[in-house]
Amino acid sequence: MLLLALLRLGEDAYGVTIAQELEEQTGREVVVASVYATLDRLQERGLVASSLGDSTPERGGRAKRYFRITGAGLREVRDARKSLMNLWEGLPHLKGEKA
Amino acid sequence: MTPKQIPRIPTWMLKHFGCGPNNDVVLGDLAEHYQLNGSSLWFWRQVLKAIPVSLFNEVRAHKGIAARSLLMGWGLWALFISIFPLITPYFFGGGFGVYIERQDPMGTLWAVLSAPVGVQVILGRPFSFVFAIVLPLFIWTMCGWLVARFHRGQQTGVVLLFAGSILLSYMLLFGRFVFTVRPPAPWLYAFSGQFAAYAVASVLGIILGGGLLRDRLTIVNS
Repeated sequence: MLLLALLRLGEDAYGVTIAQELEEQTGREVVVASVYATLDRLQERGLVASSLGDSTPERGGRAKRYFRITGAGLREVRDARKSLMNLWEGLPHLKGEKA
Repeated sequence: MTPKQIPRIPTWMLKHFGCGPNNDVVLGDLAEHYQLNGSSLWFWRQVLKAIPVSLFNEVRAHKGIAARSLLMGWGLWALFISIFPLITPYFFGGGFGVYIERQDPMGTLWAVLSAPVGVQVILGRPFSFVFAIVLPLFIWTMCGWLVARFHRGQQTGVVLLFAGSILLSYMLLFGRFVFTVRPPAPWLYAFSGQFAAYAVASVLGIILGGGLLRDRLTIVNS
């Protein structure tokens, strides 16, 4: 889900925008620190890369940390989509859903 | 537009108890989000969740260091607890020590953990107070300082982990102790207060010695 959020946000992916994107898509409050914990793990696996940006006054002079998806991350997203599509294929329609 | 004042207490808490290299960035994100559409309650919730999340993340990333710091902290404490009964009889008169019973390891552990307080200690007596609270506070401060000194890169994480492990052991053993005293005797209530004070002194000592209450410079990699 985080990788998809990074793809949707493109160049503007940092803590606040990622948390907002996830909140909009899931409808649940996101803990900003958890976003970083997960992104750190993804970075360890080489799926994302990060760089420090400028500091702004509304952030109390603290820098932003921007994230972007790497080639390996993109492959992981494609593989996950493929697996999900395979799982959905041939599944009987869910109750209440139109064919 | 005048910027909103960021809640000071949770900011202070995250600054001092948040672990890892992301702490400053998280603080910046929370401040920015708060300015946009956050409430004080939201800010508090984020900080109260961020502290354990960052601690867990730090421990996960440095498992060996975390284990070493725990061993070191508990080892120092064991040293203290073995010296303590040797000096206390001079002040308590009746003498007291740790009763070791191989058949009852949990009971022995409880006796060891509560040794500095002792059931007979009365906080109203100056010597008792000094030896139940002030001396442990001083010794825990030394333990916290040594643990932090040998793990400077992960100072906040290891100190919080050590303090948390001490607090957890107190809670578990005290819970077991209360459960075994049936029916609850009046002295148990008095002892609970003393033990709570001792537990607070222990944790506060570790945090003080570990330097978590000091303002530290933030190093940002550029």
